[in-house]
Amino acid sequence: MRITEQIKDGFLLFDGAMGTMLQRAGVAPGQLPELLNLTDPGLITSIHKAYVEAGCQVASANTFGANSLKLAGSGHTVEEVVKAGIACAKASGARWTALDLGPTGQLLEPMGTLSFEKAYDLYAEQIKAGAAAGADLILIETISDLYEAKAAILAARELTDLPVFCTLTFEEGQRTFIGADPLTAAVALNAWGVDALGVNCSLGPKELLPVVETLLTYAKVPVMVQANAGLPREENGRTVYDIGPEDYAAAVELMLEKGVHIVGGCCGTDPTYMARLHSLLEGRRPVETHPRTVTAACSGTTTCLLDGRVSVIGERINPTGKKRLKEALREGRMDYIIGEAIDQTNAGADLLDVNVGLPELDEPAMLAKVIREVQGVTALPLQIDSSDPAAIEAGVRCYCGKPIINSVNGKKETMEQIFPIVKKYGALVIGLTLDEKGIPPTAEERLAIAARILETAESYGIPREDLLIDCLVLTASAQQEQVLETLKAIKLVKSRLGLKTVLGVSNVSFGLPNRPLLNSTYLAAAFGAGLDAPIINPMSAEIMRVVDTFRVLDNEDKDAAAYIAKYTGTETAAAAAPVPPAGQAGAPAVPPAAETLTLYDCIVQGRREEAVRKTTALLESGDALEIIDGQFVPALDYVGDRFEKGKLFLPQLMQSAQAVKAAFSVIKAHNDAAGRQGEARGKILLATVQGDIHDIGKNIVKMMLENYGYDVVDLGKDVPVEQVVEETLKQQIPLVGLSALMTTTVKSMQETIEALRAAGAACRVMVGGAVLNEEYAAMVGADYYAKDAQASVRIANEFFGG
Amino acid sequence: MYRIDRAEALRYLGYRGQAIEPQLDALIDDCMEECLQIARPRSVWRRFEVSFPEGEADVTLPAAGFALPGRDIRAHLSGCGACYLLAATLGVEIDAAIRRYEAGDLTRSLILDACATCLIESVCDEAETAIRSQAAKAGKGLTSRYSPGYGDLPIEIQPRFTALLDTPRRIGLYCSGSYILMPRKSVTAVLGLRDEPAGRTEERRGCGRRCVDCRLKDCLYRKEDAPCA
Repeated sequence: MRITEQIKDGFLLFDGAMGTMLQRAGVAPGQLPELLNLTDPGLITSIHKAYVEAGCQVASANTFGANSLKLAGSGHTVEEVVKAGIACAKASGARWTALDLGPTGQLLEPMGTLSFEKAYDLYAEQIKAGAAAGADLILIETISDLYEAKAAILAARELTDLPVFCTLTFEEGQRTFIGADPLTAAVALNAWGVDALGVNCSLGPKELLPVVETLLTYAKVPVMVQANAGLPREENGRTVYDIGPEDYAAAVELMLEKGVHIVGGCCGTDPTYMARLHSLLEGRRPVETHPRTVTAACSGTTTCLLDGRVSVIGERINPTGKKRLKEALREGRMDYIIGEAIDQTNAGADLLDVNVGLPELDEPAMLAKVIREVQGVTALPLQIDSSDPAAIEAGVRCYCGKPIINSVNGKKETMEQIFPIVKKYGALVIGLTLDEKGIPPTAEERLAIAARILETAESYGIPREDLLIDCLVLTASAQQEQVLETLKAIKLVKSRLGLKTVLGVSNVSFGLPNRPLLNSTYLAAAFGAGLDAPIINPMSAEIMRVVDTFRVLDNEDKDAAAYIAKYTGTETAAAAAPVPPAGQAGAPAVPPAAETLTLYDCIVQGRREEAVRKTTALLESGDALEIIDGQFVPALDYVGDRFEKGKLFLPQLMQSAQAVKAAFSVIKAHNDAAGRQGEARGKILLATVQGDIHDIGKNIVKMMLENYGYDVVDLGKDVPVEQVVEETLKQQIPLVGLSALMTTTVKSMQETIEALRAAGAACRVMVGGAVLNEEYAAMVGADYYAKDAQASVRIANEFFGG
Repeated sequence: MYRIDRAEALRYLGYRGQAIEPQLDALIDDCMEECLQIARPRSVWRRFEVSFPEGEADVTLPAAGFALPGRDIRAHLSGCGACYLLAATLGVEIDAAIRRYEAGDLTRSLILDACATCLIESVCDEAETAIRSQAAKAGKGLTSRYSPGYGDLPIEIQPRFTALLDTPRRIGLYCSGSYILMPRKSVTAVLGLRDEPAGRTEERRGCGRRCVDCRLKDCLYRKEDAPCA
């Protein structure tokens, strides 16, 4: 029998701890236990054998950490160690042998520095060796980071046909170390197509019960539990566990009663525990579970359930009609895009749409890059939006979670391109109700297209709950008679097909004045027709008012708690004066104290909002350059001087700098509107060197330099030497700033400078960072040492002759 | 209870007695509160016997096949029969928050970073207190904490150090190829365990928490004005 059949209707008993048994055998802690597969295979086989004799059906090979990172310098290859490990497991006579894959041992991006692709390669190497050695299944275990799980699962599924089991480790508070909750674990692992999912390590079986209950509620595949023998604690130099075999079995019995099919043990357990579980399973039948069918998208930590509530999909990361976003994309400047993601998150979006379609860009590469950046700063699930199937695949592949793909439509060719991607990576997908003949005028015809999309999706094995339908909004200014037809179509799709619906609402107002007003009225009507998830601008207060109020009327916002918290006391203000669009001059009352302040004063005092208002007002009469030279620069010079004299400390300097930064964005918008280009004083490249991830200092320097009118090319942190060289040459950068915060990364600073010189870059280099000083800076070959952000401004000013 | 020492946080921010306006004061309070709220402090420690091989500048942990190289750690642990290896972290959440604020509010990001640096010290203090009371029961005393990177104890021992304590699995703490601990607000430290007359309280000494003995004379975080312990 195949193991996947066994777990469908029967139990499966895995083994207990390997590490605990090795420690008892006297193996020193902190060594690579996997090397014992080669040096003492008898010991490893004897442990497997003890488990088999206790009744265990699966031997998990001693390959947990056998990856090339951990084995580096051991003198042995992954292939050797894995092959020997599988052989030891097979020699025990176990019914099945599992290739055991633990975490890589490194933290993945964006929290750490290991790339998703590198993690994939590490697992791929282990998986190829394990499959060649004859493993019957792949067990991915003790995972905290779903991104790591995705790398391993994807490698397993692309390289083998072996069944894949995956278990995560949760701590008290029911989250993994990286922050994933059990619901998200279930949604993501379901989507990625594992054959069993569950939990191991971390806690004792009693503490894990609530986690297991959630997994059972949502898992579409059998649930597996390998708990520790209680919580570990240190006693006289040893790690001890407090739960004995009897108590362990009693707690596992509770889980069996809830519907767990696969059990075993983790740290602290031994063959006596497994023998107890073996007798527990005898003569027992698994309890049938009835997992909930949900429409859910998730990130690496958080799930958005689209059932029983309306969800807001933020539309702002889309260059259509957005000049600044287009510019940011063309120049590869991520900070603007990151800002949009954070703003929409804070404004209350539930998901974020990401579209980077510009004809001149390499869209697959850019979409993947932006997805990586955005998923590093928001926990919201993403919607991957492109008309290019290659871009969609690139984005979905590197996404940690279950995204929504936007979109497919009724065209045969499009469905043939998109559905295999949806199926392979496990995503939700939006179906647009249009086909080869365009958008049909009537609701009935759009329903027919939706039905055809559904039928085709199901033929690819995509569950119907993962299909969302967009009934398409036409603009009221062009096709007014069509506007309500869309709402009719929503009703039909919901009632006849039972599918969730999304809608790009803002399209309705195109070409008409006061778009938010029209949008919000239409949104309310669409909610009334049953719309589940509008794709809208969550930064619009008017739009969010409709959402907040509908959530009360729809009985989602229980006891109107959120509504009351947000809107209490807002009646009078709203009645007295309509709220003007943000950023308009003179609108909100300025506090009397600030009334008499000049822009210069506002900057010196770090008053950000007021600096913005003053700048806006000044622009109406004055010239941008006058404001910069007459107000910004003198104020910055004054504050910088006070900082250098020790009259101000860093946060005070920075508040002034932030005020200028905010005011500068007003000037930029003004220049854009007038089609004018601001003149930069000089181009400076900044990077935090390879291996270093501490970049607050560099970001402060960047802000200060930009405030003084420099054009800063920011390459970010952990920047490879070659990238600094390449960009410096390509953009002909005259001044390069490098930062390093660790003694160990100063070395890569030196390498970067040497590489710049070797490549013949005609640039000067300034360096900074906590561990540097004048002497060190000279030693690594820098031209200038900037002891703080103000010093870097001074250096730039002198260099560019300002 | 974990706490954030406000004066310490200010020092990390380069504070030298300047007047602080009310908005900034409130912002600092706010950051301290946020830091305590989102951090997920965790720690793990383990005891190892130590020996001092003749003629070498190392301390060895024979059971682990591990050496703590350097004259400074040898001096720090002199007279100790064993030591505790300690690792602590605030988790990834605080890193994520600091990164998020970097995009929109760099000042807040910087202050939160400073608060987190103080908080991880407090987490180590709590762990140290627990170890100390465990030691006191056996009539033993502890030295102060000594971390890789202090004096001549090389930071390159971090990977073995974290592996010995199994920190990825136990507390979600990793060491990168450049020997950087991740999450960023994490600490590893060694505490010496030695025989001690009952009831005697241990004074802080060595450079456990003071910059005076450190060789990084130009460190941004150097506390020049801190009184000597």
